[in-house]
Amino acid sequence: MIRNKRLFYVLATLLFLLPTLILLLQSLSETWRFQTGEGLRFQLDSYSVLLSDPKLWSATGWSIGIGAGVLFINLVIGIMTGKALATLSFKGKPFVEAIILAPILIPVLAIAMGLHLFMIRIGLADTVLGVIIIHLVPTVPYSIKIFQNAYRQLGSPMLEQPLILGSNPLHQLFTIELPLMKPAIRSVTFLTIVISLSQYAITAIIGGGRIITLPMVFFPFLDTANSSIMAAFSIWFSMIPLALYVLVEILLLLLPYTIMPWRK
Amino acid sequence: MRTHGLIGLLIILLLSACSGGESTPGLSEVTSKEWTDIEASAEDTTVRLFMWGGDEGINQYIDDWVSPRLAENHNVTLERVPMNTGEILQKLQTEKQAGKTEGTIDIVWINAENFKNAKENELLAGSFVDSLPNFNDYYQTDDPAFQTDFGTDVDGMEAPWGKVQFVFHYDAAKVDNPPSSFEELKAWTAENPGKFTYPNADDFTGNAFLRHILYAQAESPSAIYDQPLDEEAISETADDTWKYLNEMEPSLWRSGDHYPNTLTELDRLYSQGEVWMTMGYNEARAESLIDEGVFPETTRSFVMDPGSIGNTHFLSIPFNSTNQAGALTAINFMLSPEAQLAKLKPNYWGENTPISIEKLPEDMKEKFQSVERGESVLSQQELEESFLPESEAAYVDWMKEQWFNEVVQN
Repeated sequence: MIRNKRLFYVLATLLFLLPTLILLLQSLSETWRFQTGEGLRFQLDSYSVLLSDPKLWSATGWSIGIGAGVLFINLVIGIMTGKALATLSFKGKPFVEAIILAPILIPVLAIAMGLHLFMIRIGLADTVLGVIIIHLVPTVPYSIKIFQNAYRQLGSPMLEQPLILGSNPLHQLFTIELPLMKPAIRSVTFLTIVISLSQYAITAIIGGGRIITLPMVFFPFLDTANSSIMAAFSIWFSMIPLALYVLVEILLLLLPYTIMPWRK
Repeated sequence: MRTHGLIGLLIILLLSACSGGESTPGLSEVTSKEWTDIEASAEDTTVRLFMWGGDEGINQYIDDWVSPRLAENHNVTLERVPMNTGEILQKLQTEKQAGKTEGTIDIVWINAENFKNAKENELLAGSFVDSLPNFNDYYQTDDPAFQTDFGTDVDGMEAPWGKVQFVFHYDAAKVDNPPSSFEELKAWTAENPGKFTYPNADDFTGNAFLRHILYAQAESPSAIYDQPLDEEAISETADDTWKYLNEMEPSLWRSGDHYPNTLTELDRLYSQGEVWMTMGYNEARAESLIDEGVFPETTRSFVMDPGSIGNTHFLSIPFNSTNQAGALTAINFMLSPEAQLAKLKPNYWGENTPISIEKLPEDMKEKFQSVERGESVLSQQELEESFLPESEAAYVDWMKEQWFNEVVQN
């Protein structure tokens, strides 16, 4: 056991911590030309380029706002649909499940064109709401799958008990289902935020340049050989899922029967 | 019952969206006015310029130089929106299909295949260049470089904003005498195996490199750039081109088993010293990369016989711009000698100007001539002497297909 643990730490350091450390160092130095035998030359230019972009703060704000909106809708749809699929049995269920997974099997861009046309007609193109809706396409299928599994693991006895004891569904959701499904909520949070945050093409088309999210500022810089700027952008970029993750953790503490971490 | 209500609501929404919206006045209506009237009606408006945003020098030129001056001189707010040209065109295409007459884009930065597509699909507002005072005063209006864009007739639908020329870069600390012709390049590559490569044909720059070789193998470059693509007529030239490339392949980086996918990859190899040469449109592009420490300080550039391809890039107005007067005012300002001079200086962008220096007033002429573009940039004279125009856009696609068949698979 102890040996396995040690192996885990060695591998985690090598494969996760070390690359992040290099990324951090690169963002704080000139592009590292390691093959020429040069060392790192530290500077803060990359961050000043980053911060000098007048769109950076508003783009970050848009990304966080849209990410939060997408996450909220995902939780609502995911929990409701997931529960229905896990507990009910009805005619044509496999068909419904297949339909729900369809959006991740078809390229989003192909859907985006048709949806754009539709959104122009109903006036949702170039609006935040339109962008949030299009971000649901690549995220909702995952959320439903994750919650469906979570409910299946919970098992029907756990859901029947509150029913017998006379609890209403909302009370049941907050006191039993959500506290027991914390790992699923964490997965959905991370997955949804990261997917929503990295959508470039569909955000550009549906947002129409009115809604400038972080990838729209950041992705064009992939065309530059200056890895320092890329590193600085990546560090900035990774702060958003991290911040929202912390936020969701705090919200999870508010659920009933939670042991506060400082009380352990 | 409830679902019926929802469907009904949706239908009403659809219908109302289809019928509504007054159409914006045509561009010709705006351009027929006096210029001072156009500028006056542009006051207190916002112009949205959609352009590729992956170079901080270019972004800062727009944000820190153009925008404040446009606001001060013309009371026009310029908003730069970073978006790749492909997405811009797709957005316009769908808006056209949906009949959306009030778009969000007032100016696009465009050239080559993108312009061809936009023009063929009627995504542009129309002809406007002749109404721009700065274009008429300071530009050689009948210059073929402004009349056609990669073989597509411009018809006044886009205004020349800048021009770039293809150059090769080398590290002077490692290479004493850069090759002066494509034959010498092949010999140099054989002597220095693994130190040269080019991006593959799908890349914009890699494709241009290959077209240079096609030019070099032809009797004279004009046999290519003056002719529309006729595969049979150029079959001999094409065979020589494949022969040249296949002979060169074994001495390329990684023996030609792998080609960089993009110019960025080639630049990284050059930055690491793995290869000793790189290349690219914009003769001054190495300056900022040297400054940032990405390229070695000893980076210099060179061009080879029979010459180097250059092209012009343009500003245009989409069909559903809601602020055409503002767009015209902004474009006219960006074509002005002051704006072009600031663009030429290496502190922001360092890019060449399509303006005619001889048409400028004396003091302006001196300012243009005294700009120091940096040590890695060739002299204006050398660039002009080696200048070759672009061929028709069809050659680009042809090259993509054929290169893969003839060079990669062989």
